[in-house]
Amino acid sequence: MGTISIEHGDRLFWLGRYTERVFTTLKVLEKYYDKMIDENPQFYVEYLNSFGLSDIYGSSDKFLKSFLYEKENPNSIANSLERAYDNGIVLREEISTDALSFIQMAMDTLEKTKDSSRGLILNLLPLEDILFGFWGCIDDYILDEEIKTIIYCGKCVERLDLYLRLGYDFKAAEAEFARLCKYLARVPKNTPYRYNTKQLSVLVETLGTPEDYRMGKSDAISALGRLFEKLK
Amino acid sequence: MKKVNYTFSTKLTFDNYVYNHSFALRCIPPECEVQHIISCQLDISPFVPTMQTVDAFGNNVTSGYLKSEHRFLDFEISGSAEINSAAERTDFMPCYAYQSKYTKPDDALRSFYAEHKPFCLSEDVFERTAYFSGKLSEVMKYEKNVTDTKTTAAEAFALKKGVCQDFTHIMLSILRMDCIPCRYIAGLACCDGETHSWLELWNGKSWIGYDPTNNCPVSDDYLILSQGRDFEDCAIDRGVMFGAYTKQLQLISSYLTLA
Amino acid sequence: MTEALFNQMTAAPVANADEINELLRRYGVKFGIYKNGTFKEQLFPFDPIPRIITAEHFREIEKGLIQRVDALNMFLYDIYHEKNIIKDGIVPEDFVYISSGYLPQCEGITPPNKIYSHISGIDLVEGKDGEWYILEDNLRIPSGASYPLIAREFTRVASPKAFSQNNIVDNRNYAKLLKDTLDYSNCGGINAILTPGRYNAAYFEHSYLAEMTDSVLVQNDELFVEDNILYQKTYSGGKTKIGALYRRISDEYLDPLTFEPSSLIGIPNLMEAYRSGNVAVINAPGNGVADDKGIYYFVPKMISYYLGEKAILKNAPTYLPFYDEDKEYVLENIGKLVIKDVAEAGGYGVVFGSELSPEQLEAFRNTIINEPRRFIAQKVIDFCDLPIIDNGETVMRKADLRAFVLSGETTRVWASGLTRFSRNPDSFVVNSSQGGGFKDTWVLSR
Repeated sequence: MGTISIEHGDRLFWLGRYTERVFTTLKVLEKYYDKMIDENPQFYVEYLNSFGLSDIYGSSDKFLKSFLYEKENPNSIANSLERAYDNGIVLREEISTDALSFIQMAMDTLEKTKDSSRGLILNLLPLEDILFGFWGCIDDYILDEEIKTIIYCGKCVERLDLYLRLGYDFKAAEAEFARLCKYLARVPKNTPYRYNTKQLSVLVETLGTPEDYRMGKSDAISALGRLFEKLK
Repeated sequence: MKKVNYTFSTKLTFDNYVYNHSFALRCIPPECEVQHIISCQLDISPFVPTMQTVDAFGNNVTSGYLKSEHRFLDFEISGSAEINSAAERTDFMPCYAYQSKYTKPDDALRSFYAEHKPFCLSEDVFERTAYFSGKLSEVMKYEKNVTDTKTTAAEAFALKKGVCQDFTHIMLSILRMDCIPCRYIAGLACCDGETHSWLELWNGKSWIGYDPTNNCPVSDDYLILSQGRDFEDCAIDRGVMFGAYTKQLQLISSYLTLA
Repeated sequence: MTEALFNQMTAAPVANADEINELLRRYGVKFGIYKNGTFKEQLFPFDPIPRIITAEHFREIEKGLIQRVDALNMFLYDIYHEKNIIKDGIVPEDFVYISSGYLPQCEGITPPNKIYSHISGIDLVEGKDGEWYILEDNLRIPSGASYPLIAREFTRVASPKAFSQNNIVDNRNYAKLLKDTLDYSNCGGINAILTPGRYNAAYFEHSYLAEMTDSVLVQNDELFVEDNILYQKTYSGGKTKIGALYRRISDEYLDPLTFEPSSLIGIPNLMEAYRSGNVAVINAPGNGVADDKGIYYFVPKMISYYLGEKAILKNAPTYLPFYDEDKEYVLENIGKLVIKDVAEAGGYGVVFGSELSPEQLEAFRNTIINEPRRFIAQKVIDFCDLPIIDNGETVMRKADLRAFVLSGETTRVWASGLTRFSRNPDSFVVNSSQGGGFKDTWVLSR
């Protein structure tokens, strides 16, 4: 098609971000859940701390319920899915009805597990499958490289942002950054998702060595947030 | 027959920058039986490419799109014309027989018409117009700043005050109730520093001009800029723009002088 | 068709109703609705028992619809140009000019190929006498084609046997028909579908049709007219010319510089681009004059006037109090008739005589005597109910059929349509926003 409107550019980027937020949050919650089974039932507080949130939940059960299902909680999977859907719904002709149907299915699947008595991880596994299906559609059906690139930029920015905030180790962050750079390089000049060179160089510096990474984490988060700021 | 010189200018100023400004002007006087346009120059500032079309009512439409930021839009037309108000215009459209957005009568207008109709004895459409206009001028007072461009005939009639646009709308409403097709004319008249409006009524073969504000037939001192069912079809400038402006100020001046 | 045969043909989809509804849900077949001021998306309930139209019936309907839509297009061209049908006394001028669909701003404009109604949605019902009757022509922005289009994908998946064992015409060519229609009138440039936005009731349809026809889905804020050419802004600062705009917003909001000045969803100077022949506006502005309640009466007359043919499909019996003999009939039989106010749009101004008290009837008679040309009166047609499944039981409900007719190089009728039914057993109103649903419509190939 070769034409992307400004509005749709933003929608594509945020579709990538929210879908990825759902996926990474899912993965992380599974990890934390595993620890909470026997090691430390209060381990979720660390998760909250990573995002500067205080413990208003009191128990791991309540925490999980809120972060999985509560649409009013802006950090929940239910909320992120809804926002992914909100962005996706206006992109039907770019991303295809098929891709969109996976987000609808993810919402329906999440809703169904709400009152299930089965184990948490067992419940969430189909959700992961569905998200892989979504990305399969994006990869397979979208022929326009520019459209694809914007979605992947959103996806990579989101994943790196969460990794930084959750204190993932250097190797993991470095790998995600390398992936992000691959997509950034494909964005044409003078388009809204062309990187800001100054912010990108901050990222390059802070993600240079394990030492830099330890010291410069907050700089990296801020630079990532401003990566597409317009140069004045 | 008279030869006249005319100028008409509008200065539109905003209190903040605007952009993506689309506009449509209906200010180039149409060439027709009652007026031969000898010359007409249109200047728009800031510079913007424009296109010319003729709309369904026979108006010259100048359209343009000013993408970049600006704080004002000025345009001016000037030229000379030969006016012969005795000539016959024949460009009829059936819609002129029906009430339109601004002219829909309310109960007050309907009863005003019903009250005077039995005493209007002439069969001649021009004389009927003059009769109703006379009755209207007995109750309507010319007063500025009590109505605006959105005021309908019924609203102005309720106030019993208004400007040329309101007098014209009320008369159009009455004439259409009387089954006389008629149309709104926006234009310039001698001795008027702004734009003027009046009406034309259809006598079955041609149009006759009448000025309800001054309660008199039109003469060679009237230059037509645009025409339509009511003000909305004739608006000399219409625009849509974006920006954080809160106010726009419009200054209009016009001159029609004997050449 | 015997009941036994019908049951045999429809057994498979009925058995798989749950699967079909699950798929419709998964693919987000929804329509938007405002309830108490907030926007909600609702699934459009699907009933698994299809409406079946035999090949023989369909051939007749098809011929009749092509004839009707061709005449309506010729009428529109005539009204906005020579007006011969008025001069020749076939249609009284009042009926044309008091119609809210008549737009004098469109006088003299000739749309590409003289087509005013590219996508027509004609509502029909099947009478108990076996004849099909036209209820209403919808030429402005008829919606609904996307629902049966996507539903067929799922009915085929869920009950393949129904399709291998019966001769059902594949209806999934709608996107191709629509694309051909857009392409045929395109003035150079891309095809775009203009939507008022995601909070419009028919947003699913707008976006699905955009995807299926390879059009871009646009909103007004990404469009502009420069040098009387319609462009879409691209995010890299460029612009793309639009050659055909399938607009899904009404005439009055289309261009704030020509129509309603307060419109926030229109495109300034679109009408100048259209008038200059640089873009096809689909459907053409001003075509609502032909689907007006008052004009409906005259469609059979139009068919004979323009085509010299007798109308194949019948109107519901209609009376115009404007004519003296009709007036007498209406005044006498008002209790049995439906009276429609031609000046009112949409579903407003529709009165069932049987629901009025004797005093109201008398008052209404006087209104008709005073303003005869404001009304039309129709006989209530006794039309066939269709079976639907309600809580596991088969019950009979009112249903209509919206047939879609596309006018491009030739006029073509989509071999399907939207069959809508009302859930409420007493209701004649077949409307999706009032809890009604839809069915698959099978046209048999032999």
